[in-house]
Amino acid sequence: MKGHLSAPIAAVLLCVTVAMPCVIAAGVGATERPTLAGVSQGLTCQCGCGLTVANCNHPSCSFSVPVREQIESMIGKGQSGPQIIAFYRHQYGEKVLSAPTTEGFNILAWLMPFAALALGGAFIVYTTNRWRSAPAPDKGQPAPPAKKASPQFDAALRRRLEDEIRERT
Amino acid sequence: MPELGRLALLVALVLALYSIGANLFGATRNRPEFLTSARHALWAMCAMVTIAIIVLWNGLLNSDFSLEYVAAYSSTTLPTAYKITALWGGQQGSLLFWTWLLSIFTSIACFQNRRRNPEIAPYAMVVLAVVAIFFLGMLNFVTRPFDLLAVAPVEGTDLNPLLQNYWMAIHPPSLYTGYVSSTVPFAFGAAALISGRLDDSWIRSTRRWAIFSWFFLTLGNMFGARWAYEVLGWGGYWAWDPVENAAFMPWLVMTAYLHSVMIQERKDMLKVWNLSLIGLAFGLTIFGTFITRSGVISSVHSFTQSGLGPYFLSFLIFVVVSYTGLLIFRSGELRSPAEFESYLSREAAFLFNNLVLVGIAFAVFWGTIFPVLSEAVRGVKITVGPPFFNRVNGPLALGLVFLMGVGPLIAWRRTTPRNLIRSFAAPVSSGVAAGLIAFAYGIRVWYVLAALSLAAFVMGTILVEFRRGVSARRHMVGEAPAVALVNLVAKNNRRYGGYIIHVGVIVAFVGIVGSSFFRTEVKQTVRQGQSFAVGPYQLRYLGLSPLDTPHLEMATADIEVLRDGREVTEMAPAKVFYKRQQQPATKVAIRSTPFADLYVVLAGLDDNGKQATFEVFLTPLVFWLWAGGLLMVMGTVVVMWPNVRERAAIAATLRGAVDREMAGEPVPGGD
Repeated sequence: MKGHLSAPIAAVLLCVTVAMPCVIAAGVGATERPTLAGVSQGLTCQCGCGLTVANCNHPSCSFSVPVREQIESMIGKGQSGPQIIAFYRHQYGEKVLSAPTTEGFNILAWLMPFAALALGGAFIVYTTNRWRSAPAPDKGQPAPPAKKASPQFDAALRRRLEDEIRERT
Repeated sequence: MPELGRLALLVALVLALYSIGANLFGATRNRPEFLTSARHALWAMCAMVTIAIIVLWNGLLNSDFSLEYVAAYSSTTLPTAYKITALWGGQQGSLLFWTWLLSIFTSIACFQNRRRNPEIAPYAMVVLAVVAIFFLGMLNFVTRPFDLLAVAPVEGTDLNPLLQNYWMAIHPPSLYTGYVSSTVPFAFGAAALISGRLDDSWIRSTRRWAIFSWFFLTLGNMFGARWAYEVLGWGGYWAWDPVENAAFMPWLVMTAYLHSVMIQERKDMLKVWNLSLIGLAFGLTIFGTFITRSGVISSVHSFTQSGLGPYFLSFLIFVVVSYTGLLIFRSGELRSPAEFESYLSREAAFLFNNLVLVGIAFAVFWGTIFPVLSEAVRGVKITVGPPFFNRVNGPLALGLVFLMGVGPLIAWRRTTPRNLIRSFAAPVSSGVAAGLIAFAYGIRVWYVLAALSLAAFVMGTILVEFRRGVSARRHMVGEAPAVALVNLVAKNNRRYGGYIIHVGVIVAFVGIVGSSFFRTEVKQTVRQGQSFAVGPYQLRYLGLSPLDTPHLEMATADIEVLRDGREVTEMAPAKVFYKRQQQPATKVAIRSTPFADLYVVLAGLDDNGKQATFEVFLTPLVFWLWAGGLLMVMGTVVVMWPNVRERAAIAATLRGAVDREMAGEPVPGGD
């Protein structure tokens, strides 16, 4: 019985580490039918607000307002989401993207959360297996002798204990 | 008056310093009179900070522009309510407000522990005083709220228009309360490590504080989301902004902590883990403050950027290093005989629930700091925004929801496959049915199908739990179903309050899924009297109503909303111009129903208002996000409600144990 679940759990954790970031990151920027909201969510506003073009709340923002209009026009001309994103990346560089790319150092961004999760999971499996293999506390041993009433357990201490019980409850 | 404020802060700092010395001396030399004196010093510190708060509020309410802070964050035309909230609208005021809350919570913790926990309470007060000294030091020497201007201006600069909203009146205090109250369980955890009293007494002493902190973190996050929804004008409520993330991370870790302490209380396991979690939760609150105030990472919520980053970073490093050092120092004593029988047990469900919660917190942390890392390593500062967080956290959220369903129905120690099937047959059936119904309604997005199925599964497990409890009471006590339900919750408030919170989380989860995947967006320019369609609604632009006050100018578009040819409501989105700050802003109009929210933004005006451009969002189920939040709040109130019967039972047990001890009889469970 012992440990018979740890191998499948370890396999699942390995799959999570390897497969999840790939599946998830592969979807970045891929939209089946581009929408203004979808595409503009993939771009970061350059006005300094730190939000995406979709979310920038400055009514007369010099970046998000014209870019949103441009995106609408590009969608109207039949361009795909990744094409529009690539156009802005070419113009402004990587900083305009609202998610890390899946190239080079940026892969770490996608990999680390799942690697940490898998490591944590592996640690739990390792620790719980150790707990399971540890000898159970010996319940056959006689109970320790009861303590004798302490001579110091006088009325004053009793009063203090009563106070504490009243407070705690 | 400003001199009084300055003096009060200085005296508060001295008192905090004195309390540390008195507490340490009293605890190590067994001199109770010094412990009493330290307690009085901390209460006096609270009184001093309260005086400072009153002085600053007085300055704000009386528009005393000789005070630099008042001149920077208020004006004579600012409505009185916002003069009060301007206290936390700027750097110094918000730090003072933080310190005030800390001093109040320290005083309450002092009072609660004046006769109990004598071995750890003095050290906990030392930790609380150390945190207070950091903030008081900042207020006295680095960022002073009572600095005076050489020449007082006639008029103030005014409060940032984005903060002139009622949600902003309650969002920061709620969040700060959540942040600051987490200091108390952290201080007791640290005190347990310092004193070597490593049983679960520190957890029992601070359980309500931890729930209180979680409660206000929940409220703070919800209010912040609502503020973003109503004020930022993009139709959403969560943008994975660094400051939002900073508020979300402690909530996640505190949620993990509240679950894992149940294992320690029940089985005396996970001591190191629980101490680590509470340390992490507190560290993340300081990290959040560091992000908000340092300007290291740009954020739409950073209204108080300054050069305080290095101070907060230093304090954060001090907290992390000293707390980790204590954990390592006590690691040998923290080992406990752990009993773990099966992965099909509640312990296992809680362990994996903790893994996913902390995993999500790590993903959020990683995404938040990755731009800084990228800049340091590659010299390129990239942005990590919603696409990253949604894609990474989406699957993890599904896992978490699944575990929420598994945990309550699975037994402690081990569950047999037969029991598993019996317990989960109905919830699994409800989950499958929900998925099939959604599929039949044309939903083809796998995430939504999975999310709805899991939500139905969890609701099924909670209903099974309630049904079992009610049924047991009906058979044992013979109560009517409604009475049995009320008594079930009243007599087991901690457990069933927790389930109510779970219902709230699921309801909010469904709201988030619905509003994220099925939003309709329309942008339309119309002339006065013209209509346009958004989903089942027709919106007709009736005209513009101007408003001019000394504080602002506002142009409100009057819109008639029709459905099937009949008027259902009128809406009034507006453009606002704040005169003092010379800053434009939008005021959105929202019509909320359980099915969908109609959200209208006045995006532009032409031809003297005869032509207007509107951005309209039709967002399904967003109503349920707020309803879920309300349920979470109600559930937490149930959990925290004093259980008189339980307390009486504990008191009787304690008294019985004392009587047996005095009579020299063996005490059950005694050593």
